[in-house]
Amino acid sequence: MKGFKPSAPFLLLLPAIIVLAAVVVVPLLLSLYSSFTPFRLTKPETFFVFIGFRNYLSILANTDFWWAFGRTVLLLTIALNLEMLLGLGLAMLVEKATRGQRILRTLMMFPMMFSPILVGFQFKFMFNDNIGLVNNALQSLGITSDAIPWLIEGHLAFIAISVAEIWSSTAIFAILILAGLLAMPKEPIEAARVDGCTPWQTFRYVTWPFVMPFAYIAMTIRSLDVARAYDIVKIMTDGGPAGRTELLWTLVARTAYSDGRMGMANAMAYFSILLSIAFTVYFFNKLAAARTQIGAEW
Amino acid sequence: MDDNSSARLKRRLLGVVYRIGLFLVMLTICLPGLWIVLSSLRPTVEIMAKPPVWIPQEISFDAYVAMFSGIGKGGIPVIEYFRNSLIISVTSTAIAVAIGMAGGYAFARYRFRGKSGVFLGLMLTRTVPGIALSLPLFFLYVRLGIIDTHFGLILAYVALNVPFTIWLIDGFFHQVPKDLAEAAQIDGCTRWQAFWQVEFPLAGPGIASAAIFAFLTCWNEFALASQLTRSVSAKTLPVGLLDYTAEFTIDWRGMCALAVVMIIPALTLTYIVQRHLVGGLTSGAVKG
Repeated sequence: MKGFKPSAPFLLLLPAIIVLAAVVVVPLLLSLYSSFTPFRLTKPETFFVFIGFRNYLSILANTDFWWAFGRTVLLLTIALNLEMLLGLGLAMLVEKATRGQRILRTLMMFPMMFSPILVGFQFKFMFNDNIGLVNNALQSLGITSDAIPWLIEGHLAFIAISVAEIWSSTAIFAILILAGLLAMPKEPIEAARVDGCTPWQTFRYVTWPFVMPFAYIAMTIRSLDVARAYDIVKIMTDGGPAGRTELLWTLVARTAYSDGRMGMANAMAYFSILLSIAFTVYFFNKLAAARTQIGAEW
Repeated sequence: MDDNSSARLKRRLLGVVYRIGLFLVMLTICLPGLWIVLSSLRPTVEIMAKPPVWIPQEISFDAYVAMFSGIGKGGIPVIEYFRNSLIISVTSTAIAVAIGMAGGYAFARYRFRGKSGVFLGLMLTRTVPGIALSLPLFFLYVRLGIIDTHFGLILAYVALNVPFTIWLIDGFFHQVPKDLAEAAQIDGCTRWQAFWQVEFPLAGPGIASAAIFAFLTCWNEFALASQLTRSVSAKTLPVGLLDYTAEFTIDWRGMCALAVVMIIPALTLTYIVQRHLVGGLTSGAVKG
């Protein structure tokens, strides 16, 4: 039994490793290779032409790409920070409730049940300039008399997309932070109050350090699929108007499937993969640090 | 006396402000969804009306009837999409959970070198954006002839779900005390028996919620499905929803109805698992 033990976890993990190798790792190696070729879907023979870093060099010189890249990072920064803040606020609001907390918690999770594609559709409908709820409400309340072109003007479309993104993902933060708040022992808070801390000090030095690991769990989960913003953008604006809401992911899809330039698209895809990995590793490290800080075993 | 009553007034005022704030927040969260449900029941004329009609004049299920009888605007084959979604999601969930249980058990019960590294490695495969992964998969699937098939999508979804399933199930096995299985082994169970008769039933609800979470991921996935499926024989509901927008005149009511059809299974399932899900994700954050 003892001699067998070291290899048991390996055997147990083997199926997972095989599947992931077959469906993720090997295809990614293939796409890494093809990012060094001028591969086009319409010309299969180009798959075997090696052109070195030429795809990457032309991407670096491509302003459309850099705009999309910058916009993606901007969207993620705005969305993740606001989601965190709103989630924290929401969690504290629900935690305060004396009655009906179960119902409130269920309602709070409501947006989580929506797939990104549905969130996109829903906000496409609500932000529609002609029949959308937002414009109808604004006009009926007399705040504005014109139809605001939410999804037609570049900056407004970016705002609309951010709203959709934040609406859909705040719930994850709220739920996990609420779990942290509920798991927290009450004595330290009371002790802090007795010692004369202001509510802000109590929150900053007692509550927040305790809740932080939970917030990082939410961040890590969230960073695992930041790319689902693709679904939302795809259905809301499809990168338009005139590429003003083009994100890295929609650009990759357009280059690959509409233009058929697979080699180039794979090179771009590698930027998006590295971006995702950077986000995940960053938050994973924060999570690990927060865990060791409170003395939990991984 | 005066201090007392003013303090009481202040407290009551704060209470009212709090309630109003809570109500507004919850309204913001629920309104978009409710609006979709309402719109799916209203006639198109009312949705398009200018100035807007706020109070629905007539409610009907016409959109649903039209959708399922296959004569909906644009003739979207909803029933086929629904069937594809169901087959693909259920099969890939079952496989992902089986693999995830083995992996999660390994993480929860064994200490081995590079554990944290392996875990991070598994998670990193999950970070690859669907659209980036779809490029090589599209190419490979065309070569292997499994593009636009259930099998191709199931395979992709298993890989998509395995890392997160392992994370969740690891958390649930962590909550089952090690001593229980050891006691069973001392009483003469083999490790295999101890797992199925002691640890599995205890972690069961957690594993069920991991399964439901995996199911929802498949049910909702769009980026991969939109590129790896082409025809009615394999398209899933999220891809079907986009069919509606591709037309020149958008049938808002029909889309709303399809959205409701998509959300109902998700809603029911999420409601069932919500408690376990949070427990599984946060296990180890405080207790280890």
